[in-house]
Amino acid sequence: MKNRKYINHILAVMAIFIAGIIVRDFFVNRSGKNIDNPYAYDISEFAQVDPSEVIYKEVKALRLSVSEPKGIAFADGIIYVIADSSMIQLNESGQLIKQTHLEGSPTAIAVNEKVWLAFTNRVVQLDKDGNVISRWQDYGERAVITSLAVSDQYVYVADAGNRLVYQCRFDGELVRRVGEKDEQKGVPGFVVPSPYFDIALSDEGFLWAVDPGRHSLENFNADGAMRTSWTKSSVKTEGFSGCCNPAHMTILADNLFVTSEKGIVRVKIYDQHGEYVGVVASPDQFDEDSYAPDVCVDENNRVILLDFNRKQVRIFEPLNNEQ
Amino acid sequence: MNDKKTSKPTNRREFIQKGMRATLGLSLAGLAGVAAFKASADDYVWQIDPFKCVSCGRCADYCVVTPSAVKCVHAYDLCGYCDLCGGYLKPDANALSTAAENQLCPTAAIKRKFVEDPYFEYEIIETLCIGCAKCVEGCSAFGNGSLHLQVRHDLCVNCNECSIARVCPADAFLRVPASSPYLIKGDFTTGNSTSNPT
Repeated sequence: MKNRKYINHILAVMAIFIAGIIVRDFFVNRSGKNIDNPYAYDISEFAQVDPSEVIYKEVKALRLSVSEPKGIAFADGIIYVIADSSMIQLNESGQLIKQTHLEGSPTAIAVNEKVWLAFTNRVVQLDKDGNVISRWQDYGERAVITSLAVSDQYVYVADAGNRLVYQCRFDGELVRRVGEKDEQKGVPGFVVPSPYFDIALSDEGFLWAVDPGRHSLENFNADGAMRTSWTKSSVKTEGFSGCCNPAHMTILADNLFVTSEKGIVRVKIYDQHGEYVGVVASPDQFDEDSYAPDVCVDENNRVILLDFNRKQVRIFEPLNNEQ
Repeated sequence: MNDKKTSKPTNRREFIQKGMRATLGLSLAGLAGVAAFKASADDYVWQIDPFKCVSCGRCADYCVVTPSAVKCVHAYDLCGYCDLCGGYLKPDANALSTAAENQLCPTAAIKRKFVEDPYFEYEIIETLCIGCAKCVEGCSAFGNGSLHLQVRHDLCVNCNECSIARVCPADAFLRVPASSPYLIKGDFTTGNSTSNPT
C-alpha cells in the first residue's frame, strides 16, 4: 500500500515533467521565435551612412489619405501627387487644394502650364482644374510609361517596356525616339530590367535619362545623340547598387542630380559631373523593405519625396541652405 | 374469394440467405462508393506562398529531408536578365563575374549564362540548392523578385505536420491541392498554378 503511494507520486511527477517539456517545446519552437539565420543576407553594413555626409534634414511630412501613391511633381508652389485613380494638389503646408478623379490609374506625371499624365501606355493632357484637353494615341501593348518630362517645346515620354524615350510635340506628334541602340550616335541602348526608368531635363533643356541596368545617367542632344554620361556603380553610399538604380531621379538648380535608390533605400545628391555630393535621406529614415521614393524639387532647392510605404509626402531642406 | 394469396412464411434458411446477400450487396456498394470518392477527391500537399515568404533560412535547416525539399525556382518571365544580378552576386562583389568569391549562393547553385550583351540568364542547379533563400533575399531587395522558394514534390515526403511549416515565422506554408501543387510567381498572381516549376 505504501509502495503504491510512492509509485503514484513518482508517476505524477513524471507526468508533470513530461507536460513541462511538451509545453516548453510548444512555445520555444513556435513560429516567430527568434532563430538565428545562418544564411542571412546582411546588407546593414552598406546601409550605414556617416552623419557628416547627410546634408539635408526632414522638415515636414504630409500624410496622404490614399491607398496606392504612384508619383509626384512640383510646379508653381503646388505639389501634385498621383495616387489610385486621382490627382491631388497640395500646397507645401499640406493643405488640399484640389482632388481630381481620373479615368484610370496614372503611372507618371509632369507639369508645366498643363498637367501631363501617363496611363501605362498612353499620355493624357489636362488643364490644372483636371479637365482633359487631349488624349494621345497609345504606344502599344508593350509600352510601360514610367516617367514624363516637359520642356517649352516637347514632352519626353520614358517607356520602360520598349526601353526608349519618345520626344513628342504637345499634340502628341512623335519627333524622334531617343536612346535606341545606335553605334553611329554612340548610343548603347538603355538597359531597363524592371519598370524603373526615369527622365528629367537640365537647366538648358537637355534630356537626362537614367540607364538603371548600367547605374548610369545619360545626357542626349536635341538630335538624340549621346552628349555625355556618368556611371557610379558601388554598394557603398557614393554609388548605385543592385540591378536597377537609381530608380528615380530629378535635377536641382545648378544641374545637381537628386537620385533615389531601391534595395538600400537612400536619396542622394550628385554634381553635374556625377561626383557624389551627399545624402538627403539615409536608409534608416525609411521603413524596412521600402520602395524607392519618387522625387521632385521645389524652387528653394528643397527635395520633396513621395514615400510609397508610409503614404507621405516628405520635405527635406538643406542643412545650411547653401546647397 | 380464393384468389387472395396467402403469404408464405419465410423460413430461417431463406432469411439468412437474403440477409447475407443484402449485406454483401451493401458492402460492395459502400466499397465502390469509397473507392470512387478516393479516386475523385484531391489530396493536399505542402507549398510556400512566395508572397508571404520572408527568406528566413529555416527551410534549409528544418526539413526532414537532407538537403531540404525546398528549392529555389526561377520565374523567368519576371527576371530582368541583369548583368548586375542581386540574387547571384554578393553586394560587394569585386567584379561581375562567376568567380567563387563573387557568388552569393553558399553552394554555388546558380549557373550564370551569357545571353547577349548585357543580359545573362540564371539557372538553379537543384542538386546543389539547399533552399537557404539567400538569393531570394538578394533578388527581392535589388531585383524583380523572380527567384523564390518552392517545395519540390519529387523530393518532399509530405509529412502530416511539416517541420518547416511549424517554425515558419511568416506562416507562408499552405496545404494546396496535389493536382496543382506549385505557387509560381507570375502565374500565381493571375490565379493559376503550374504543375512543373522548371
